[in-house]
Amino acid sequence: MNIFKALTKIPRQVIYVVIALAVMIPLLKPIGLPIRVMSKSQQLFAAIDSLGPQSNPVLISVDFDPQSMPELYPMLVAVLRHCFARDIKVIVMALWPQGSGLAEMALDVIPKEFNKEYGKDFAFLGYKFGVTAILLGMGDNIKGVFPVDYHGTPLDSIEITADLQNYDDLSLVITLSAGDPGWRAWLLFAQARYSARVGIGVTAVSAADVYPYVETGQVVGLLAGMKGASEYEILVHEHGYSEGKRTAAQGMDAQSLGHLVIMVFIIIGNIGYFVTRRKK
Amino acid sequence: MKKRIPLLICAVLGIFMIVQFFIPHSLSQRFFDHSFKWYIAIAGFAWILGAGSLIKHHTDRIRRKKKRWYFSIVTLTGLTVMAVLGIFWGIRTGTLFMTFYMNIILPLGAAMYAILAFYMASAAYRAFRARSKEATVLLIAGFVVMLGMVPFGDFIWSKIPEIAEWLLSVPNTAAKRGIIFGVALGSVSTALKIILGIERSWLGGGG
Repeated sequence: MNIFKALTKIPRQVIYVVIALAVMIPLLKPIGLPIRVMSKSQQLFAAIDSLGPQSNPVLISVDFDPQSMPELYPMLVAVLRHCFARDIKVIVMALWPQGSGLAEMALDVIPKEFNKEYGKDFAFLGYKFGVTAILLGMGDNIKGVFPVDYHGTPLDSIEITADLQNYDDLSLVITLSAGDPGWRAWLLFAQARYSARVGIGVTAVSAADVYPYVETGQVVGLLAGMKGASEYEILVHEHGYSEGKRTAAQGMDAQSLGHLVIMVFIIIGNIGYFVTRRKK
Repeated sequence: MKKRIPLLICAVLGIFMIVQFFIPHSLSQRFFDHSFKWYIAIAGFAWILGAGSLIKHHTDRIRRKKKRWYFSIVTLTGLTVMAVLGIFWGIRTGTLFMTFYMNIILPLGAAMYAILAFYMASAAYRAFRARSKEATVLLIAGFVVMLGMVPFGDFIWSKIPEIAEWLLSVPNTAAKRGIIFGVALGSVSTALKIILGIERSWLGGGG
């Protein structure tokens, strides 16, 4: 077979092996490529950084499942660390049933790093079904939608939620979203109807969908994929808020090489395609 | 009568909900609160319907010994075990439900997503060909955004992340906004058609 023809027909097993190596090697032996913080991540960081102990709580909605965990879970951890380091009160909820398990996983670990106390510094509302009704209902009365927290304690008897009425009593809403229900619903109902300040963290493939709303100013800041997570981790680290493990930053080398290998294969395929086409 | 009553309920409630949205009055708010509770109650039935149809589908597969029917046993076992554990022993940290969630569902979910990298690489290699001018533009834009999304792009040339951001903020936003407007207008017209009883396919049996 002609060599150029062969370039267009590389067996998929070869591609799989090369991709596996490209991802695994940097994980085992990190290259340490420098990560530049982009403006959208910086904006979300600045929005949280401007808050303090006297500010209203920040609401974080865990709208993803384990499949998107490598991209979105580091965002959750980094945002929680930032909030706790600045003594900002945090309320966590989930629009995805599996999100509540991930939120619980983070809340079991991160508050302990900062000696934060449940009820006083943070609360977890858990998962509730019915996104439209939930988000519109929260605009009127959060306790009407979540009468009790994840542990069954009435919100009236929890210090940070006792005076909570609606979105006006939240400094910021951050949705870490892997699809629907997620950022779109928060923008549509919480931001557009009730003027809540919304920050968004999404998987890299969804980032292009969010950009139109960032440009309109409806979004406070945007974390896009693992790169966004790693940028936030770096900001938190550089400001001396946390020395904790930076999983997204560690994964960026692997992602860089993975992208590079995919591009090399595309180029090889195109070279083969053009040469064989010209010969015909 | 069988069709008229649902159409009437849909029209009346649809119009009420539109009007309610624009009237910040206590009566209007009370109406919304009530409808919200109704919505939650009705939506709860979707779970029953979903679980019911899943059980029916998989028991059917097992009974008829369809291709790879044994995977249906795994599905039904998983559903039953997790439901029983969650309902009777709770879903908090330290429960068996949470142990299964952390040690089975989390790694399996992450593994499923990780496998995508291999399929995407293989598919991109085979499908991404600069066959026309449009495909070439798409290919170049894709390359720049892919590079801009990783530190390696910045390493090659510091302007790549900025160009990637521009591509997302300007051409992407322009195209997306056009689509969003189209979808929004389409949604409004479909909603009106349903409320006014012009579109009746939701009643079943075709339009």
